[in-house]
Amino acid sequence: MPLLECIRLTRRFGALIAVDNVNMAVEPGEIRAVIGPNGAGKSTLFNVITGVLKPTDGEAFFNGERISGLPVHEVAQRGIARTFQLTHLFPQLTARENVRIAAQARLEGRWAMLGGGKVLAQSRRRADEALEQLRLTRFSDTPARNLSHGDQRLLEVAMAVAQAPILLMLDEPTQGLSIEETERAVDILRQMLAGGGLTVILVEHDMEVVFKLAEKITVLHRGQVIADGTPDEVKADAQVQSAYLGGFE
Amino acid sequence: MRFAYGLAIAVVGACLVPLVSPNYMLTIIIEALIWGIFAMSLDLLVGYTRLYSFGHVAAYGLGAYSSALLLLHFHMPLPFAIILAVVISSLIATPIAWVCTRTHGVSFAMLTLAFAQLGYAMLYRFKEFTGGSNGLAGIPRPAGPFGIELFQHKVGYFYLVVFCLFGSYLLCRSLVNSPFGSVLAGIRENEAKTRALGYNTRAYKRAIVIASYGFGSLAGALYAPFAGFASPELFFWLISGKVLIMVIVGGAGTLIGPIIGGIFFIFLENQLAEITDLWPLIFGSVFIAFVMLAPQGIWGLVTSTLNRRRAPAGAGPDPEDVSGASA
Repeated sequence: MPLLECIRLTRRFGALIAVDNVNMAVEPGEIRAVIGPNGAGKSTLFNVITGVLKPTDGEAFFNGERISGLPVHEVAQRGIARTFQLTHLFPQLTARENVRIAAQARLEGRWAMLGGGKVLAQSRRRADEALEQLRLTRFSDTPARNLSHGDQRLLEVAMAVAQAPILLMLDEPTQGLSIEETERAVDILRQMLAGGGLTVILVEHDMEVVFKLAEKITVLHRGQVIADGTPDEVKADAQVQSAYLGGFE
Repeated sequence: MRFAYGLAIAVVGACLVPLVSPNYMLTIIIEALIWGIFAMSLDLLVGYTRLYSFGHVAAYGLGAYSSALLLLHFHMPLPFAIILAVVISSLIATPIAWVCTRTHGVSFAMLTLAFAQLGYAMLYRFKEFTGGSNGLAGIPRPAGPFGIELFQHKVGYFYLVVFCLFGSYLLCRSLVNSPFGSVLAGIRENEAKTRALGYNTRAYKRAIVIASYGFGSLAGALYAPFAGFASPELFFWLISGKVLIMVIVGGAGTLIGPIIGGIFFIFLENQLAEITDLWPLIFGSVFIAFVMLAPQGIWGLVTSTLNRRRAPAGAGPDPEDVSGASA
């Protein structure tokens, strides 16, 4: 059974069909990239899956359970963590507190109003682990707003990892990074994913990043899936060539 | 450790006040401390969750009228009446919180204001019950429990208020430092992200609105039996503005700041009212001065001064350490 299954998922904005009849199945443990030109509907697809937007039509299933139409926090509680295309952080709080709040999100005692020292300690441990995984330990006590853009992108990934998700959805983790920063970020991500166990869906613009990280690729064009397969299959696909990869190889 | 010392000094200092204060001053001091509780309760919303309530007077009025009616009709021991008034007010606040937290920003502010005005209007609508514009007079301060007469006298009442102030401060402090409190900080910083992490932010906001009304109603519930009367003035919308100013001038998001802001303004008002009728003008000028020159408020000024004085004596000039300590 696929971990995530989208069936004829559709999202319209007035006359515009941003996500059009998308069928996609992501197997457990898979690292899947969703690619496509600007406006192809990649982020909208993310938003529909994670509950930020309601689908106009179609359904999404996670672990066999229907998640389309659930509120955002309910989707997250089922084990789907995501980052945003535009960095979403708690700017005034320290990097550690950013990640700690994320780590606390799925713990039993998150509602504790008085004390709650155990939950705080447990989430802090998990936060420190995630910070180390993303090599951000030295910024633990720095307010998030003072980090460089590249480190902020990684901090958001650390937050998602700290949620202990089953499915990790990264929306352009290298967006706006310099070439060196991108290389470093890809290295860190690759090491993080080498641990295995995580299923990942990655939206990415940078083809090099995609071919370095992904095992499967879904290509979106004007909201529709025009190709789906291994990187080699996708590269060979004529339709993809004309729509997107033109001049890549 | 530093906190424990500060708290101990504050408690001892407060307990010594009746020994040195003339009797008439004690009246003002009690009123100031009650306003301190009230302003602190609003800080939970304004400072910690960034929810601007323009109708916080509803909490005060609900507490005041609840305790007044309980004491007039049931003649129960004073502490019980106050506790019960807080419970009743919190229950009434629950549907209010439910509705208000469906909105954001200005709509939230306007809805809280609307509910406060609704309460004000109901005082006139149910005259038989609330006394209408005459209010409720002759609120007793029955002895007890176990026939304790302490709270019937002004000095005893002072200690009751001090106890409530420190008790609710410690509760609020624990609340904002708890896992729950950290979610409030998340909502303040970026609500969409907090939701995306898996927190039902609306439920958290509901809870903090109810808690804030609860602590605010404690202030009202203490005031009515102290003054001996409850009038519609305790439900008047201007009070919402006044307490909001106290929070901002005192230092939002610090709990101690708003307590100081409340005490400071009651004293200021009291002293100025003796000298000139123009005291609201000065009140307003102080507010403008703080917003423009010291947006971190009184307590923010105090802590940044203390940190600056401590920094050279500290372990070393670590700029990250300083920013961490003041955050």
